[in-house]
Amino acid sequence: MLAIDARDVEKTFRSGWFGRRETPALRGVSLTVERGSIVGVLGPNGAGKTTLLSILATLLTPDRGRVLVLGHDVVREAGVLRRRLNMASGRPSFLWSLRVGEIIAFYGRLYGLSGARLRRRVDTLIELCELGSYRRVPYSDLSTGLKQRVALAKSLVNDPELLFLDEPTLGLDPDVSVRVREHIARLRREQGITIVLTTHYMREADELCDEIAFIKAGRILSRGTPGELKRQIRLGEVIALRLDPPAVTWLAEAPGVLRCVEADGWVECTVDEAEKRLPELLRALHNDGVVIRNVQVREPELEEVFVELAK
Amino acid sequence: MSWRNELLAVWAVTLRNALMGARNVFFFFELLFWPVVGVLSIGLMSRFLELTPAQASFVLVGTIALSVINVCQLEVAYAVLLDVWSKSLKHQFLAPIGIRHLTLGSWVVGMVRSSVVFLLLAALGWWAFDFEVLRPGWLALATFLLGCFLTAWVVGVAVCALITLFGNRAEAFAWATVNLVLVLAGIYYPVSVLPGWIAAIARAIPLTYFLDAYRSYYGFPSEFAAPVATGLALSVLYGALAHWAFLAAIQRARRTGLLLKMSE
Repeated sequence: MLAIDARDVEKTFRSGWFGRRETPALRGVSLTVERGSIVGVLGPNGAGKTTLLSILATLLTPDRGRVLVLGHDVVREAGVLRRRLNMASGRPSFLWSLRVGEIIAFYGRLYGLSGARLRRRVDTLIELCELGSYRRVPYSDLSTGLKQRVALAKSLVNDPELLFLDEPTLGLDPDVSVRVREHIARLRREQGITIVLTTHYMREADELCDEIAFIKAGRILSRGTPGELKRQIRLGEVIALRLDPPAVTWLAEAPGVLRCVEADGWVECTVDEAEKRLPELLRALHNDGVVIRNVQVREPELEEVFVELAK
Repeated sequence: MSWRNELLAVWAVTLRNALMGARNVFFFFELLFWPVVGVLSIGLMSRFLELTPAQASFVLVGTIALSVINVCQLEVAYAVLLDVWSKSLKHQFLAPIGIRHLTLGSWVVGMVRSSVVFLLLAALGWWAFDFEVLRPGWLALATFLLGCFLTAWVVGVAVCALITLFGNRAEAFAWATVNLVLVLAGIYYPVSVLPGWIAAIARAIPLTYFLDAYRSYYGFPSEFAAPVATGLALSVLYGALAHWAFLAAIQRARRTGLLLKMSE
């Protein structure tokens, strides 16, 4: 069952006198997201990630295309839809004088919560996002990490079926980022929330996302699981070898080897298929009298996929 | 949306604005400083110019109306301005909130705050200049205050529409619009002294009629046949138009991306 079914979405921003300067942000984007999955939208700055998320979250209306979210049209049925989704962004901002508890309660009331139910919900979210000691602290006095936790708590106030996270760990300390990531994974695992997130951290995408859509210049260039993406762009796998003698000239020309680099006493050979090439290389090295001291095989990092696709 | 949820959304905005107002020094200044300065300076000027008690009442009614409307309309404009200043507009419009909740919730706080201003200025006017706000009676006073609140509501919603339409740069409207309306509505003079075409504009402003009706109890015959009814009818008409404009501005902001820009 689909949580998002977007077809041929186009959006152009107009500026200047009479809107004569046009900046195309989305050029026919199609995206489907299964319910209960975590999908990452990756891409370089200005690729259209936030525009896409904003359209899906009813904050922006598309120029063309059809967008169904949770079975509702994002333009015609936006009012119904807003009760069922929510969003948190990496650069959150709320009213500066309101305290943490008051911010969550304000949004809770907008979603129809009141009295004991509202108090319980606020308590639960404050506990969940580890904001207990900051409940009565004004928003303007919070650190970046705490502000982001407030944004996350706010985004869960209506028990959303669909959650949009726009760079949720931007600017956070590594330990806080890890906790936020764990929390996101738990939301899907325990509550079955569908999550669409954008991020610049490839490790985050690799760790969290079932699927990744790579967007560039308003178009989705590639889509699949992190593993599929790595295979799709044929980056190959890396066989890292520690050898004695350390350099072997013929390695770069061996069958199936795409490239070879030397670094820190290791020779890193990118090969088309590690399972097939590893025994061949080891046999050839052994026959050549080279001593093999260590071997490691690894997939390419998602970051390398990103760099390749962003070219 | 159920009635319960409607009221809850209005209450959420009311509570939010009240909390923000209670915690900001500048809001306190708006509430007390300028209104008091206004009544004192106008009252003292009327004494220096040796105005009759009726004439002094005429201008004091004007200056009190100015303060009441200013405070109330600013609070209505805060429905959008607070979120523009804090860059949280997108969170607000991501939630299931309608403009009716925003404007009504803010208006409630505006009415409470401007009622406090009114009480303070009425006491000051009575103590310093022998000006009695209750001379026309409770009903006339309540009608006058309702007229001020309605005018503030219309202007405040129109300011919200302008800010949502043009972004932060339209903020100056919030401070300037109300003064233009007050000048045209004959704040310190009867509209009959205005040049023909300006008087025609004045006759299209609801406040003109509420001021006229209230001042008639201080010895200045009404210039209009049914001032209160006309003022109410115009307020309802403009209120509906302002809400329509605000709604259209939000829809446009969703189309142009201004809603997002104002949140960055």
